[in-house]
Amino acid sequence: MTTSKAKNTTVKFNGIQTSRRSFIKNISLAGAGLVVGLPLTACVNASLPNNNKSALTPNALLQITNDNIINFYLPRSEMGQGTYTGLTTIVAEELDVHPSKINVLNAPVHDDYKNIEYGFQVTGGSNSIRTHFVPLRHLAANARLVIRQAAAQQLNLSLADVQTDNGNIIVNRKSLPYGEFVDRAKQLDFPEQAALKDKSQFKYMGKKSPRLDGLSKSTGTAQFGIDVDFEGLHRAALKRCPVLGGKVKSFDDSAVKSMPGVKSVVEIHNGVAVIADYYYQAKNALVNLKVEWDLPEILAAFNSDSTASDNGKALFKTALDSDESSNAYEQGGGFGALKNAEKVIEAEYWAPYLAHATMEPMNCTAKLTGEHLELWVGSQAPDLAKLTGAYYADIPKDNVTVNSTFLGGGFGRRTSSDFVAEAAAIAKASGFSVQLVWSREDDMKNDFYRPASMVKFSVGLNNEGLIDSWVVKRAGPQIMPYTLDDVVDSIMPGFLPKGLVDGLSKVGYSLYSSLLVDHASVEGLYEDYDVPHKSSDHVTVDPGLPVGPWRSVGHSYSGFFKESMMDEIASLKNQDAVEFRLKHLKNNPKLANTLSVAAEKAGWNKPLPSGHFHGVASHKSFSSFVTQIAEVSVTNNQLHIHNVVCVVDCGLAVNPDIVKAQMESGIIYGLSAALHGEITLKQGEVQQSNFHDYPALRINESPNIEVVIIESDDAPTGVGEPGLPPIAAAVANGIFAATGKRLRSLPLKLRG
Amino acid sequence: MISFVLNDQTVQVSAAPDTPLLWVIRDHLKLKGSKFGCGMGLCGACSMLVDGESTRTCVLPLAAVAGRNVTTIEGIGNPDMLSTLQSAWVENSVPQCGYCQSGQLVSATALLSKNSNPSDEEIDNAMSGNICRCGTYPKIKNAIKQAAMDLKNGDGRLQAVAYFDPATLNSEV
Repeated sequence: MTTSKAKNTTVKFNGIQTSRRSFIKNISLAGAGLVVGLPLTACVNASLPNNNKSALTPNALLQITNDNIINFYLPRSEMGQGTYTGLTTIVAEELDVHPSKINVLNAPVHDDYKNIEYGFQVTGGSNSIRTHFVPLRHLAANARLVIRQAAAQQLNLSLADVQTDNGNIIVNRKSLPYGEFVDRAKQLDFPEQAALKDKSQFKYMGKKSPRLDGLSKSTGTAQFGIDVDFEGLHRAALKRCPVLGGKVKSFDDSAVKSMPGVKSVVEIHNGVAVIADYYYQAKNALVNLKVEWDLPEILAAFNSDSTASDNGKALFKTALDSDESSNAYEQGGGFGALKNAEKVIEAEYWAPYLAHATMEPMNCTAKLTGEHLELWVGSQAPDLAKLTGAYYADIPKDNVTVNSTFLGGGFGRRTSSDFVAEAAAIAKASGFSVQLVWSREDDMKNDFYRPASMVKFSVGLNNEGLIDSWVVKRAGPQIMPYTLDDVVDSIMPGFLPKGLVDGLSKVGYSLYSSLLVDHASVEGLYEDYDVPHKSSDHVTVDPGLPVGPWRSVGHSYSGFFKESMMDEIASLKNQDAVEFRLKHLKNNPKLANTLSVAAEKAGWNKPLPSGHFHGVASHKSFSSFVTQIAEVSVTNNQLHIHNVVCVVDCGLAVNPDIVKAQMESGIIYGLSAALHGEITLKQGEVQQSNFHDYPALRINESPNIEVVIIESDDAPTGVGEPGLPPIAAAVANGIFAATGKRLRSLPLKLRG
Repeated sequence: MISFVLNDQTVQVSAAPDTPLLWVIRDHLKLKGSKFGCGMGLCGACSMLVDGESTRTCVLPLAAVAGRNVTTIEGIGNPDMLSTLQSAWVENSVPQCGYCQSGQLVSATALLSKNSNPSDEEIDNAMSGNICRCGTYPKIKNAIKQAAMDLKNGDGRLQAVAYFDPATLNSEV
């Protein structure tokens, strides 16, 4: 783990080597992670960042100035998912102003911007629109009401005579901008109960309108972290241990210091950094820097290349076959019900480690002036970036300012603050203002990877051919201990002695590995279908490669596992894959509906072009329901994906075009993984380094995608992630239809 | 000292001749629209027009562009003066994270400069050097087709500006 000082000691765990990870963190995180509601009015004990005394500022999110500027402080990070447009549209609707007239600013770090479900200022879990939909509407509706009340007073009219349109008070067909009433509105009590609009009154929500960040992103003017520049800024490149978690034993920089542009060479917690005038100078200098490493024992002994001699898969298999496990879910008779089954079908599935490979490599800019640290970073967790920066620059946390930029892709990678830790540490050690830029190779080899996973299904059928019991066990690393490791040093109270923390960590970790199941480990493996008896178990096996949330987290593999298994059962019973699913979706009408609509749209069971076959998969994740049907052909072992029909029920689509884009995005990101994605290790070192050996889907491989959004009056649910989980299974099931080959491992390989 | 034409202005740069053009443009000349993605010419985020060809500048030494014409995204259009492709990009909400889009637009501009009515396959061929991890490919295809149509109808322009930051005009950097 790149940022932490966590211990990585070996324990023998039922014959399986596992790494013992610090775990006190769970306790501290839970303590700090109380759910707090989005404050609708100013938080009294924390000064607002938007501190314009003459403006109407009901809380940290919204501000209307008397010169008629409407500022919305975007509390979530824009990483492509569209929250910049979506949240602004929600505010715009109830404030009654066109979204493009709202000035969107990236929120600074402040308690009032915390994600209400996590207690941190974190963007993830596809929850931005879902959690902000109601609070932002109330905020904006109340703001509109107070402006109307002020206008009524100022113009001596009844409230009913004061209407609004597009940021103006409308009186006698005259338009008066909201700003003219701000001074008066400030003197009124801010309302709390303004009525919300009915769906029939919506002007902006549910309508197609261009993204608000489209212009800057189509002209090269959007600012990403890597674009930050100022007088006196130096660039840094960092040499890290080839095996993650290794430490510097010694280094020799004699061939580096005289190289062009090189200003300084410093050792930090996880490597040796070169600071130069320009990035390519710093990067070039790393070649001549000699470092001896202390390797982490367990990971350095780990190989996983998916070949016959692969000890990586064998470790997972041993864990899966062991009696050790923790129960994550049980229903009805659970595992015991299998013995009553007419027939039991078993199968094992595998999914490898994956890198995120965001287009913008990790980077962070740090300027340390005395006891004050200023950071510029695209982060999914700017408050954790702030705490991390404070810890590594060794200054009080209140002395850190975080400037958030657009994120050149997130997908979960930028929830971690390892690159912030490095930048702060380099600034501290060198005395220079630095922009740390990771090369693509750094990025590929120093990720928090999607955990590899192996599962075994045992599915019992009754005498009517329906599923009676669903038993699934998953073996693999758990994400939570790593997430906690990443933040623990910075969020632990400073007065706790280090030794105590480490001691408690060990107790905590064994609890975690043997008792606690991170729900992300098993999510999506068992929930969707009507089955009387269910059981889901987890067993931790972890060689110590850092893992983290990767777009759709556990669903990224469970969607493939569960939906491939359903297909297996249906085909073994000679049942139609759609009909068979529908028989088990009586209690899941929304998923059933997406399936029926998709079957209709795709022409399921209708004739296809010669050699073309359909594969189907349905999966609920992040409160949204998605079915995908892939049309594929296989010729001479070459897979071609022609079309994908995707039907999503995500409640009200605040911006349908962005919902469509996110479905396409999830499918394409998921196809990169399904067809190409695999991180392998040799003696603990990640073997992939760039897009030649970790390919991303390109435009010529991208299928036609048709997205259907189910009309809904329900509140909006997630879209950033739910488009991904079904696609690998839809394709694999299509391959089975085409070839009779059941591919139970990702990536999907037709040969070998 | 190496001299080349950047967005219609002659510039002279004292960076080492083997410096990749991308870093000359980003770090020396401070034009940040072109992005660093892979450093191996694999992803296309750094694409610029060099004598009209979409070129991977993260692996192109400065010396290779001596005396040649280089156009970056800033030389194609800006928020006040959009090229037809950029307008189509905005209208179709092509960008998601947006990081690869300068490179996508450069490759699309090169394509339409040679082929006013590209087929799906020709779009695939011209654009397959540009990776987008957000998967904006379907929208890229639509936007290119829309722009091609607009250009054919005579109300479009492949390049809206000949822009260069005046602060660095004709100065040695």
